[in-house]
Amino acid sequence: MKKIICLTFLFSALFSFAQKADTTKTKVKVYGSFERNGQWYTNDKNRGINQDTVPLRANNYFNVNFNYKKFTFGTQVESYMNEALLNFNPKYKGTNFATYYANYKTKKLDITLGHYYVQFGSGLALRTWEDRSLGINNALRGAKVVFSPIDEISFTALYGKARSGFDVANGDVFGFNTDVNVSQLLNVEAFDFKYGFSAVSRYEKLPVAVENFSTFTNLFSNRFELGYKNYYVNTEYVFKSRDAIIIQNILDTKFAKEGSALLVNFGYSKKGIGFDANFRRVENMQLLAQRNLDNYPSLSSTSLNFNDKILNFVPSLTKQHHSNLANIYVYQAQFQVVMDESTQVNKFGEIGGQFDFFYDFKKGSALGGKYGTKINLNVSSWYNLKAKFRYTNNAGENIQNYQAELFNANEKYFSDYNIEITKKVSKNFKTAFTYINQYYNNKQIQGIFNEFVINSHIVFSESTYQLSDKKSISFGLEHMWADNDRKNWAAATVEYNHNEHWSIFAMDMYNYGFDHKTLTISETDLFDIHFYNFGTAYKKGSTRVALNYGRQRGGLVCAGGVCRFVPPSTGLGLQITTSF
Amino acid sequence: MKKLALNLMLFISALGLSQNKLPSITLKNLEGTTVSTTQNFIEKDKIYVYCFWATWCAPCIQELDAINDVYEDWKSQANVEVIAVSIDDARTNKRVKPLVNGKGWEYTILMDTNQDFKRALGISNPPFTAVVKNGEIVFTQNGHTPGSENQLLEQIKVLK
Repeated sequence: MKKIICLTFLFSALFSFAQKADTTKTKVKVYGSFERNGQWYTNDKNRGINQDTVPLRANNYFNVNFNYKKFTFGTQVESYMNEALLNFNPKYKGTNFATYYANYKTKKLDITLGHYYVQFGSGLALRTWEDRSLGINNALRGAKVVFSPIDEISFTALYGKARSGFDVANGDVFGFNTDVNVSQLLNVEAFDFKYGFSAVSRYEKLPVAVENFSTFTNLFSNRFELGYKNYYVNTEYVFKSRDAIIIQNILDTKFAKEGSALLVNFGYSKKGIGFDANFRRVENMQLLAQRNLDNYPSLSSTSLNFNDKILNFVPSLTKQHHSNLANIYVYQAQFQVVMDESTQVNKFGEIGGQFDFFYDFKKGSALGGKYGTKINLNVSSWYNLKAKFRYTNNAGENIQNYQAELFNANEKYFSDYNIEITKKVSKNFKTAFTYINQYYNNKQIQGIFNEFVINSHIVFSESTYQLSDKKSISFGLEHMWADNDRKNWAAATVEYNHNEHWSIFAMDMYNYGFDHKTLTISETDLFDIHFYNFGTAYKKGSTRVALNYGRQRGGLVCAGGVCRFVPPSTGLGLQITTSF
Repeated sequence: MKKLALNLMLFISALGLSQNKLPSITLKNLEGTTVSTTQNFIEKDKIYVYCFWATWCAPCIQELDAINDVYEDWKSQANVEVIAVSIDDARTNKRVKPLVNGKGWEYTILMDTNQDFKRALGISNPPFTAVVKNGEIVFTQNGHTPGSENQLLEQIKVLK
């Protein structure tokens, strides 16, 4: 296997040299990329961390594609040196071909055999994608045909099994999608109307005795977009057929329910002003490429903790902040059902919304000043669904059930109210100020019962000063006042850009003000210390090489609606990315 | 040793290659109309600057704000069009339209919601800029440093 891979690299290298030398003659285009994320885990006496047993680790991704006229072939080879980085799916092991495909594409027809990425609508019914930093790659392996007879209509039909590690999950996935630009088709110019429909089906055999739900789990998505002048509204409704629910990491075949998602989005925008409002209600929308989870008792994790075998995408509709401190209490969309009699944590989905407002105070106006001022107001609030539920049925058997109300909210999960003002003060000086107020219900989101409701206020200021044509320096200062859990944090970042190639940065985060009596300090996440990080980066063209040294916080990390403990670490990191 | 060899090979093969043609990708613009990278932005000798960005990427927004301030000046110096490719997924892509308008950006916006275009160019993280002329990628820039829009203009002037 390794030999084949080495040969592939060698071939691609030789091929490309040849190709570069004589681009006019050969019509074969070669393109791809390479990325390496390496880490050297070191001892850290102050934190009581001993070097990991596998101290040197690296995730490598090599992607190469060959295009000849209407045909494209490609592969991605992944190599996890020694082992994958800490906190990655243990199924990422060794070196192997991770994805491969052959594609034929014309204006009307697009056929792929092998691995492919696809998204229907907003991804609530089906999405396969790659996110290397989160270790997500659920590409479907099979066949996909996209047919667009005219510009206004497209049809997609697909079959595949989702990638899991270097293997595939058990479930067979079938999908059909169509998108129609109705107003364009009918030559209507007064307004804009588009319609979309998708059907997704996952087939997986069931144990013999199970009969209260089908081997097929079907999802149907209906959606439309309507635009009139500067206003727009779009909506999607997804229905998921009856399927068993995972309770405490085990598929409970006696507890099967239907699921649904409703997303409504409304907005207005013209030059200088824009607003957008979302509403979403989600109930029991977990969809996996295989019903049963893989368990990793030694890591106290399941495949779900590593975002493995996921098939749809139900993102948190909140602002994704770039402030470090605003990312301590991060909301995760609660689309899954959780019923736990011992802890009394019962979740059936989520309901809530987000509102965004953008405004540009023009140059020369009173608030705009000489260079203009930009403002963004963002508000989001998310709640549990109100429901009637029981842990046992009338016969006294341990068969759970619930009935969620349509538009009634129960306990609040999370809210985030924030405002960001960006201003160019002078030709060389830009500054931004952000205020963020967050509410975070740790019992509901992460299942932590001690000091679990956190109200926090964060101020974040960042400034960039242009020293000369190429040299610049940026400062970021942040502070968070929290009334619970670990209380306050302070953070600072400084970055110096020497020219278009070189830059250096240093940052620190420090936690203070907490009470040892009320909060037991977890060994996996000490916080009476500085979380520093510093490094340098060199970039040229499409290549970037970055080196950093610092401390990573341990503790709970939540993604995709599930949380797990990750070990704290200190070490040296090296990232190389390039494309060709 | 084997691993070293493997890594070395990876690196050599990466260095040896250099992309030139812009891959053919179909995606939607801000109005939801389907456009193609090889059928729509093909005016002869015009310089297309593809800026990959996201609503959550502060340096990206800094870069596009900076270019927006000098965009008129750019256009007066060359036949150039900036195409801002949003890689926001369903989590944040509804914020794109009001943000673009709220900021008063004049760019053509493309929505790379499932990141097909980003993947085809082998981009790891935004911001990433690819300058395209006659279907050929002639210059790429990874990341943004304040003031790098000036270097971009120099490149554009050279290509004119």
